[in-house]
Amino acid sequence: MKKIEVSRRKFLQGSVSLCVYASSAMAMPLATTKTSKKNAEDVPYLCNMCRNKCAGFARVEENIITKLNPNHYFPKSRNMLCPKGNAAIQAVYDKDRLKYPLIRMGKRGDGRYRRVTWDEAYEYIKDKLVKIIDEEKDNRSTVAYCNGEGFNKDEYIKFFGSKLGSANFLDEGSICLNTKLGATQLTIGDVGEMDVAGSDYMIISGANRYESLITPDSVDMLHAKQKLVVLDPRCTMTAIKADEYLPVNPGTDLAFCLSMIYIAIKDELYDKAYVKTYFKDFDKLKKHILSKKYTAKWAESKTHIPAERIKRITKEFFAASHPLYYLGRRSVWSQNDFQFRRAMVLINALAGSINRKGGIIFGKPFHLHEEEINEPLYSNTVDRFDLDGIVYGSQKGGSWLNFREKIVTNTSPYPVKAMFIRKHNLMQNMPNIEKTKKMLNMMDLVVVLDTMPSDTAVMADVILPECTFLEREDMVVSFNRLEPSLALRNQAIKPMYESKSMQDILKGLGKKLSVPLFKVSAKHDADLQESIKNYGKEKAFTEGGYNMTELYKYDITTRNKKLITAQFGKKVYDSLKKRGVWHPYIDTQKEIFNNYYEYYPKEKRHYTVERNYKVHCYLKKLEKHGFDPIPAWNDHYDFKVPKEAFRVITGRYVTTTQSATANNEMLKDFQEENYLWINNDVADSLGIKLGDSVAVMSSVSSIVIKAYPTNKIAPQVLWLSHGFGIHAREMTHAFGKGASDNMILEDKFEKIYGCATMHETNVTIRKL
Amino acid sequence: MANYGMAFDYKLCINCHACEVACKEENGIDLGAKNHRLWIQEDALVKGDFWDLDRSEISFMQMQCQECQDAPCLKACPNGAIYVDENGIVRLHQDKCDLTRACMEACPYDARYVDEKNHVTDKCIFCADTRLARGETTTACQITCPAKLRYFGDLDDENSEISKVLKEREHFTLKPEAGTKPKLFYLK
Amino acid sequence: MKIGPLNIPLKEDFSLKSILGFEKTPLNMLIAVATLAMLAMFVIGVANYLVHGHEAYGVTRQHPWGLLIAVYIFFVVSSTGFCIVGSLGDVFGFKDFTMISKRAIFGSIVTILAGFAVIAFEIGHPVRMMIYNVISPGLTSAIWWMGTLYGLYLTFMIIEFYFLLNNDMKKAKIFGLTGLLVGLAAHSNLGGVFGFLNARTISNGVYYPTYFILTAFITGIYLSFIVMGFRYKLNFSDEKVKKLLEGLAKIQGLLISILIFFMTWKLLTDVYGGMPTRADVAHHMLHTGAFWTEVICAMLIPLAVILKDFGKSPVLMFWASLIGMVGIFFMRYNLVHDTQVKPLQMMKITEYQLPPEWIEYFPSATEIMIALGGLGLCILLYYVGTRAFNLDEEEGH
Repeated sequence: MKKIEVSRRKFLQGSVSLCVYASSAMAMPLATTKTSKKNAEDVPYLCNMCRNKCAGFARVEENIITKLNPNHYFPKSRNMLCPKGNAAIQAVYDKDRLKYPLIRMGKRGDGRYRRVTWDEAYEYIKDKLVKIIDEEKDNRSTVAYCNGEGFNKDEYIKFFGSKLGSANFLDEGSICLNTKLGATQLTIGDVGEMDVAGSDYMIISGANRYESLITPDSVDMLHAKQKLVVLDPRCTMTAIKADEYLPVNPGTDLAFCLSMIYIAIKDELYDKAYVKTYFKDFDKLKKHILSKKYTAKWAESKTHIPAERIKRITKEFFAASHPLYYLGRRSVWSQNDFQFRRAMVLINALAGSINRKGGIIFGKPFHLHEEEINEPLYSNTVDRFDLDGIVYGSQKGGSWLNFREKIVTNTSPYPVKAMFIRKHNLMQNMPNIEKTKKMLNMMDLVVVLDTMPSDTAVMADVILPECTFLEREDMVVSFNRLEPSLALRNQAIKPMYESKSMQDILKGLGKKLSVPLFKVSAKHDADLQESIKNYGKEKAFTEGGYNMTELYKYDITTRNKKLITAQFGKKVYDSLKKRGVWHPYIDTQKEIFNNYYEYYPKEKRHYTVERNYKVHCYLKKLEKHGFDPIPAWNDHYDFKVPKEAFRVITGRYVTTTQSATANNEMLKDFQEENYLWINNDVADSLGIKLGDSVAVMSSVSSIVIKAYPTNKIAPQVLWLSHGFGIHAREMTHAFGKGASDNMILEDKFEKIYGCATMHETNVTIRKL
Repeated sequence: MANYGMAFDYKLCINCHACEVACKEENGIDLGAKNHRLWIQEDALVKGDFWDLDRSEISFMQMQCQECQDAPCLKACPNGAIYVDENGIVRLHQDKCDLTRACMEACPYDARYVDEKNHVTDKCIFCADTRLARGETTTACQITCPAKLRYFGDLDDENSEISKVLKEREHFTLKPEAGTKPKLFYLK
Repeated sequence: MKIGPLNIPLKEDFSLKSILGFEKTPLNMLIAVATLAMLAMFVIGVANYLVHGHEAYGVTRQHPWGLLIAVYIFFVVSSTGFCIVGSLGDVFGFKDFTMISKRAIFGSIVTILAGFAVIAFEIGHPVRMMIYNVISPGLTSAIWWMGTLYGLYLTFMIIEFYFLLNNDMKKAKIFGLTGLLVGLAAHSNLGGVFGFLNARTISNGVYYPTYFILTAFITGIYLSFIVMGFRYKLNFSDEKVKKLLEGLAKIQGLLISILIFFMTWKLLTDVYGGMPTRADVAHHMLHTGAFWTEVICAMLIPLAVILKDFGKSPVLMFWASLIGMVGIFFMRYNLVHDTQVKPLQMMKITEYQLPPEWIEYFPSATEIMIALGGLGLCILLYYVGTRAFNLDEEEGH
């Protein structure tokens, strides 16, 4: 029986404002499709609606995706798809998608583009790049490049970093979780993974696992027999569901942690055997903490959490058999962020919850072999500058705010003249949007690879339409440490319109750029000139690694097949093609209840592995740079808001992924615009009612947003979700809905990892 | 031949809306917030002052057609368009529906709405004409649920998971005073 | 006029000319223009509905029945009312009332046709309804019984009217009685549509089926005053007419008193019975203007006029009856709205809403146009009827 209803809106895709001179008559499937057809093709894929990857099967009928279902083979995603995962179909069939290569005609930001062929687009980029790199005498770092998508990031870096040679790569880490990764790495020598399912007592600070879903953590929390304690300045869904909710002043979680450490040491609650074996400089920690007198009473004055509760929870935590202080993220909040994340790691360590069940585990991830490429050496290339003045910083992803600041103030050691931006909505993703705009306007060339006409895309000179994740195969990925698995994103449907996968885009670009850029190097690079003299031009080019398409000699399917079969064998490859996933127990995994599976048998999970590591209490490098080598409280960390002002904090809805899902026609039905959460008593006194428009003013700018008076937020705090207030008219569903947090957030960053501190802006409000 | 029902471990719900999106995509429901076969409602609210909130009463309830064994909608339909199918699911002969909306008026659960695409009244039918028709054994909402709180199966089969869970755990139905004998159960 | 074996005695001068040949007084012109305007609105409203479907209406998932259902009820209650009044003379043989029988029976046909015209654009698939009403009847459905019986009723009314026109009082009586019984059954089933609603306790129970018959009689009497007022241009000097109207007014006084008694007890039991979703709705009703408009217009003003001199002021009664019909309209609207006003789901389903307290509904322009169109249609048909047929009692019978 075959029955596909096609009626709702079989809209013909016509010219959009973004693409004035372009038109096409490619039919789009309707918004939702009902089908009773049996034997449709089920293509295993990996979701990309957020950074967290879940596995699913796409039902494909006549090259149309009619439904997405969860993949029960994937240990990480536990046979579920979230609302965004389910609504990914709408991302594929979004009528506002970028469809063709475009070259800017009007001013940056006004959205006037002309449709061009891929070759024209490459040609345009080539001409500009040759000129720019020539001007900069082959300092390849004048071309900055950035990426906001988890998949293909390494390949993207190989192209622009290794092959093109730029040192200036930026990613979302410095506006996301670098402090957490850094704090864990520096304290226990690894970023680890948290065994939520194995923990019987869990404390979460701020991370909102029931609205910002992370698999398997969010799912495991639902089923684990554990006590859950949540600290948050807003009563989130996670707080509602917690066994105990501790309302806390924004940015003061560190004081709570310090007090826990103080009580644990003073009352000797910590795991003495563990500390003795693994801790380095425990005496320094002990002396420091005790001398600072971080008592519960003291912490109460900072956090607003009653001292008695702090004491009781500390006792309960250290008495539990598998306690875990969950290392959450939800961006970087304040200047003490790194110290706060480190204090959480230390608490876990004091409880002995490292490298064991229910703690931070090291596990045994599968290490995939790298595809080797030949990297050219550019002797005129200068190193990155965005980590100047930052203690550690991520050598990989850098510091966005420091980078931007140096550009717009002309204090960078050399000019950055071009920027390649892939799936990274700069105009929405970091505080102070005006500054981002200024930075982009200073570029001679901005190229955007994306699927949507985002606020950033409309600032580009050249837009290269990438296909969505359901239209492409990607390289195999290794997931998790406790129950490791491999997963492969297969191609569900062919790329729509003229969009291409990143690999195909880079391949085309590489073909166009390799020789002309080599010539620029040959002009300026003494080492290369020497090499040409010795080996001849051709050999210098090939053996020097100047062929930028080296990685793309084979198509992605062939590359995957070669890589996987070589390392794991054909059976694993077949499983990845058929089921999208492979793990050693895939044939014997069993359903425990209601479609919920046990993947690795308990005794086979990598709770504890052999590893030599130390818990570093004291970080000398920090002291050298004038920061606390052991987490400590400084007076300027105190939560203080002037009278009549508010501290604004951000987060997101369960149905949104930052600004990436803003235009999703399905998801907008749940959250069409964001509201400003304001304490109901405060709102009463200001005469503000649900839905009233209020102006929110900071030192940066102001926004207008609807109010939501609620008892679920502290009196001096305001909350709004990130990802709204889209400026690009081309995003027809999202344009003009709600307001953007980054319009008003002040662009401050902490100096240990160079991360933007998102919760340090005070604002005033006015009812309109 | 079965007697399908559903049980909800409702306290696990985190109101993520995955079920609703999956349902709309699976069953071709029109987009638009007002069109839905199922929804989650927030029972009670978080009460009190922010620093001392009472979260004890709030829960999130899975709402949809309750599959009444004594269905008011069926009795109210002037055209006999509503029937119980061989799997015990209250269904609609679409060609007989005249959109009097007597069924909407009669339903105590607000389960029905007007499907503007097909010009009939519509409600949850356990994916009977999509997933079940294709021989699958789960509903779209059930399989996608992160909490796996939706148990779906044959109430007449003693060995089905839903029968077992209903035997093991206390449960209740909605608006029992309406005498509709729902086949949707909420696990205490 | 003869159609096959049927003999339909039309007025001799019946023609388009006679239809347009009304006295061009300002009042008549006003009524004519208003009627045409309402008919034009009907066309616009229907066109809008045909293009946009139910989206053109203010009805929602929570409030699926709106103004047009209320107007349909308004018309069919009017029809039943006319039928009851008409039956007083030719069925039950109350001699004083025979002079209005033909006019009232014609009125009952006209009003139910107007009601059907309105409901046709409220039901999504009227044709499907007629087909499946026959081939797959929903015998447990009050709507099925109501619709089917009203269909039969209309047939009997037409037959009765035919015999009345031909002065065959015996056959008229047989069909009149059958029609009346079927009409009452149909009408009480309409009350049953609401009385069966187990989800809406405010309406559930025996009250509406009986109340509908009572209010139909009341409506019939108001309408009798109105049609007689137009017939005699408010000059009720004829003794026979005087007697008829005085009798009707006295009956009306009794009926309104009974209605007030019924309503008082309905409200007392609603409010003080304390049944959840019934008591609070009754409370809510008591605080709406629409409810008090109903009470004042449909009951108190006419009752005061009647009690003033026990129904001896027919001219005043004419005006009171017009007011009464406004009240009756609100009565129907309130019935439909108040049945649905209590949300079945009292909880928030999105973060940014307050828990729903009462369902909001206001008719859309399209609904209002179609509703007024129904009235226009009713007036037009009635007027054409007065030109085509002799609706007065024929002398010598």
